[in-house]
Amino acid sequence: MLTEYTITYSTQNEYDALVNGAFWQFLIIPEENETQQLVQWHMDSNLQLSQNESINGLGFKTIHAQTKDRFTEADFKASFQVQKKSSNPFDFIPNQNLEMDYMEIQSLAFRTKHEIYLRRTGFTDLPIEFAAIFPFDSNKNIFENLMGLNHWVFVYLFFKTDVTHVDTPLKEIIEKRHGVCQDFTHLFLAIARANNIPTRYVSGYLHQGNGYFGDSQMHAWAEAYVPQAGWVGFDPTNDILVADDHIKICHGLDYSDCSPLKGVVYSSGNNKTSHSIEVRDSQQ
Amino acid sequence: MDTNSKNSLFSSYPQKPELFDEVFEKDGSTKAIYEKLLGLYGEHSIQDYVYLNNKAKASFFNQGITFQVYEKEKTQEKIFPFDLFPRIIDTDEWDTIESGSIQRSKALNLFLQDIYHDKKIINDKVVPLELLSSSANYLHQMMNVDPPGGIYNHISGTDVIKHSDGKYYVLEDNIRCPSGVSYVICNRTALKRALFGVFNHYNAYTVTDYAENLLQILQSVKPRGVDNPNCVVITPGMFNSAYYEHSYLAKAMGVELVEGRDLFVENNFVYMKTINGPEKVDVIYRRIDDAFLDPLEFRSDSALGVPGLFAAYRKGNVCLANAPGTGVADDKAVYTYMPDIIKYYLDEDPILNNVHTYHCSRPDELKYVLENVDKLVVKPVDEAGGYGISIGNRLSKAEIKQVQEQIKKEPRKYVAQPILSLSVHPTYIDEKESFEQRHIDLRTFTLLGKDSEFVLRGGLTRVALKEGNLIVNSSQGGGSKDTWVLKKDK
Repeated sequence: MLTEYTITYSTQNEYDALVNGAFWQFLIIPEENETQQLVQWHMDSNLQLSQNESINGLGFKTIHAQTKDRFTEADFKASFQVQKKSSNPFDFIPNQNLEMDYMEIQSLAFRTKHEIYLRRTGFTDLPIEFAAIFPFDSNKNIFENLMGLNHWVFVYLFFKTDVTHVDTPLKEIIEKRHGVCQDFTHLFLAIARANNIPTRYVSGYLHQGNGYFGDSQMHAWAEAYVPQAGWVGFDPTNDILVADDHIKICHGLDYSDCSPLKGVVYSSGNNKTSHSIEVRDSQQ
Repeated sequence: MDTNSKNSLFSSYPQKPELFDEVFEKDGSTKAIYEKLLGLYGEHSIQDYVYLNNKAKASFFNQGITFQVYEKEKTQEKIFPFDLFPRIIDTDEWDTIESGSIQRSKALNLFLQDIYHDKKIINDKVVPLELLSSSANYLHQMMNVDPPGGIYNHISGTDVIKHSDGKYYVLEDNIRCPSGVSYVICNRTALKRALFGVFNHYNAYTVTDYAENLLQILQSVKPRGVDNPNCVVITPGMFNSAYYEHSYLAKAMGVELVEGRDLFVENNFVYMKTINGPEKVDVIYRRIDDAFLDPLEFRSDSALGVPGLFAAYRKGNVCLANAPGTGVADDKAVYTYMPDIIKYYLDEDPILNNVHTYHCSRPDELKYVLENVDKLVVKPVDEAGGYGISIGNRLSKAEIKQVQEQIKKEPRKYVAQPILSLSVHPTYIDEKESFEQRHIDLRTFTLLGKDSEFVLRGGLTRVALKEGNLIVNSSQGGGSKDTWVLKKDK
């Protein structure tokens, strides 16, 4: 079964001082993969833009937009039409041999292959005093442990907007026990990586028809490499496995690889930015 | 000519028997290769040298051949002191240095190629995985990127020393943005100007062909579909310590010297702003660090880079020399595996020796280092320019304790090596108006292109001007000497 989504991304940027030219990079185009197809997209702005598709450091599609205009306000509105195939997240080969799987993730070949997604980054370095905050159960297989972690993060953290920002350290999030999807995801990554499971940060859109947390903003979740199954998506903000409602844009080591909007703006002074996102579906 | 007794210039030359002097034998006689030079220099009085030395200094200042020393409070503009007594390297010795430098550069290139793709060398257990996973210079954005021509380290600076056993040892490989080559050329010009008659008596290789070879190497790694590549040199600007060199190289190659703001990216191609409109750029010899290349991909506060540059690079539309992410391989921890790396990729024995290195990340070696700080040189693995190095036999008890504490705090950050005895060379000392022994090393410059390689036959001989000092880096108060590589006698 196919679901067709129309996603609208808009952002308003106000600058205190006159801006004399700018270069923006948007990382907001849905990825094309086995379950997702991008039918069409376009982006408009109040400015005269020269616009082209590009890629980010990990090869995901971006939009480069630049202007030579002078302005104090830059508004963008992009819309994407995506077809999503229904899939059952439990539809993969379950772990057959618990011992062999644990041996595999310990093997040099496995650790080498997935080296970058086992790294402790600034966002995913589990502070030493919290090393045992969620110990994996060696009697359960890797998938069961990750499901347990997904649920634990969901229960442990309280979803609360405006209390954390993009560079709030993980330590503070663990201590204060609240945050947004980014923080839920980073905590999941930190604990999974500390248990030698390669994990990546995913940025995307969430269709909220089902009452999920997501706050009409960009959503974030995690993908973990489960031996014999491959990359499996976990959404700790909602305690679910990633399925039809999740529309992936890109992945990376952590948020810094996935920031939806980056820009170089030739101006002094401060700016205010707001985003909003809408995901609508029409079943076909 | 009487070669057994030193001429008047060297009559009071204080020669320490425990040091390996490159000019004089232990019994005070002159080594054959320097006899002619000593004879010619002896025709002058010390007053002549005082005069010539002052002239040379003034000339460096007037040409703006200076560099800056970064210190905590202020930065200082200095000339790189130039010594009028040249170093001579004979053909056979040079052959070893040259082939050894090429061997290392090629091995490092293959190493980079491997660790940014299949990582075979790790799976084959030749180097440990931790070497990558703990390196801050490993750029995950370079995974599976194929640089034009397959070259990562187009320009390598290999630092070698001659030990008291008369053999050459490599101290480190510099494959980010090695600098110093402009001094090699300036030193030659200055020496010829001061003592042309002397230079003419030797049959030495020219060093002025560096720029044309660099340009050829840069052109050889042009992106696909480009016939006549447009090459530029990008500099962080005039406040950078090596700005003179950036401008020299651009001028000598006949290409533009640009700053980040002179370039822009559109549709994933790089352009230079000119008065005749945009001009496409194909190859960039970049003298800015990885972190500053592109504010959209690396440090977002970088005003030195070009937004969109890395995307253009990943798309294969522009070549960066050296490639981003080479820093992972000139880490001092990687250095210690160089003999294995050379064997693994080239199936050859290393031509140049490595200095034995202790890794503080290994518990048993850490123990040895902590117990023997006074007998070792301790270096941070990720600092360049001689910063943060401690030399054991020059430390007080309190300083030793401090070093031990530092190592214990971050063992992975430090490696240690036995204190080598660098060879010494007669060096004119301004304050004393006489020649004295000073420690020297040699930086060689190796270029790797698509199907070619080149080693500058000369290199930069650096002198530690402070008596007994072993650190020769210019930022640590070092000077330099013109270096003559002799052609084979026909």
